[in-house]
Amino acid sequence: MTISHHPPEDLLADFATGALDEAERLVVGVHVAECSRCRRFVRAIEQLAGASLDKAEPVAMAADAFDAVLARIDRRPQPAPRVSEVAEIDPELADLPEMVKRCKIGKRRRVAPGISMRPIMLSGTGKSRAFLLRSEPGARMLEHTHSGNELTCVLKGSFSHLGGYYGPGDFDYGDDEVDHRPVVGDEGPCLCLVAMTGDLRMHGLLGRIISPFVRL
Amino acid sequence: MASASRGPKATVDWAELIGRVAARGDREAFRALFEHFAPRIKGFLIKTGCNADEAEEISQSTMVAVWTKAGQFDPSTAGAAAWIFTIARNQRIDAARKAIREGRLSKEIVLDEEADPTLAADQIVSRVEDATRVAAAIERLSAEQSTVIRLSFIEERPHSEIAAVLGLPLGTVKSRIRLAMNRLRDLLDDAT
Repeated sequence: MTISHHPPEDLLADFATGALDEAERLVVGVHVAECSRCRRFVRAIEQLAGASLDKAEPVAMAADAFDAVLARIDRRPQPAPRVSEVAEIDPELADLPEMVKRCKIGKRRRVAPGISMRPIMLSGTGKSRAFLLRSEPGARMLEHTHSGNELTCVLKGSFSHLGGYYGPGDFDYGDDEVDHRPVVGDEGPCLCLVAMTGDLRMHGLLGRIISPFVRL
Repeated sequence: MASASRGPKATVDWAELIGRVAARGDREAFRALFEHFAPRIKGFLIKTGCNADEAEEISQSTMVAVWTKAGQFDPSTAGAAAWIFTIARNQRIDAARKAIREGRLSKEIVLDEEADPTLAADQIVSRVEDATRVAAAIERLSAEQSTVIRLSFIEERPHSEIAAVLGLPLGTVKSRIRLAMNRLRDLLDDAT
């Protein structure tokens, strides 16, 4: 897999330090798991953070903290083996990255002609939502900008827009200044993992007409 | 371990202690890890925005997880402190979520990272080759550059505060952060 589009460095650093919300963490994590270059960047930030932790001014723990920790270790139940819940029965999800397969994924719903989505059920404590977006070959996403950020990692197929060609593993970062109109490649449906804050804003007459029907 | 001939500065091999915890549940090794790291995790968490109670609880959960995950630690791919940082980070994320969900910090439960797909750190496989390149890149990063990365991303201080700490104009701080991140990326790409 040749990955040519990467998350911006500050997003990778926020991923490494735990500052992203869960939907963003999922999308960046899926990219990082596939991308050795970004994995090294994340590791570097973790090393710097480890050094910072090691040099932090110590603050005394509670007097009984060590005993409390040992008691918790002794009481800890053996973890139950994990069972994959969806992957086996859902062909669309069967060959997705492990991190996605471990998520609870909701029912498909139609967004626009040739475009459908499946929500990813996270704990809902973050400000962004995650979903799988499936677009049929040749489908043209609506011209749009965002009221917030949009993080996309391609899982299957491809799309192109002004920023270039995006294939599996590629990461696309759209903020409220980007106005793009992706076109799906014709090699097959394009499946993307998306985290989005805010709402899409449709442009042009078609956008204005179709906007009330687009449920993203 | 810390032999007298090397003086008081002789460093403890934390990785070796983690290995002893993994291999035979060595409680003396674990006590040494606890005494060094738990107060530093707590100090680090307070410095990065936790209150004292949260920091105490997360530090304890982190040490429980250090015990249970010791077998997953691979000293050839990560330093002990960086590994413990990633555990503390995940415990903190999970604690914050539980606090939101339940309106309070969850006690007693050792948060199971694997139950949360977004914390599935084991999916991001580390390689020995990465560790070498990362170490080489960090080595070549200037002190000034690692300082701005630490202040901005690791300690999450606002740019205005970093400007005050470093005695620099805000615009200079912003460009230094951007340059430091680009430099780190370049160094990682260069390293062979």
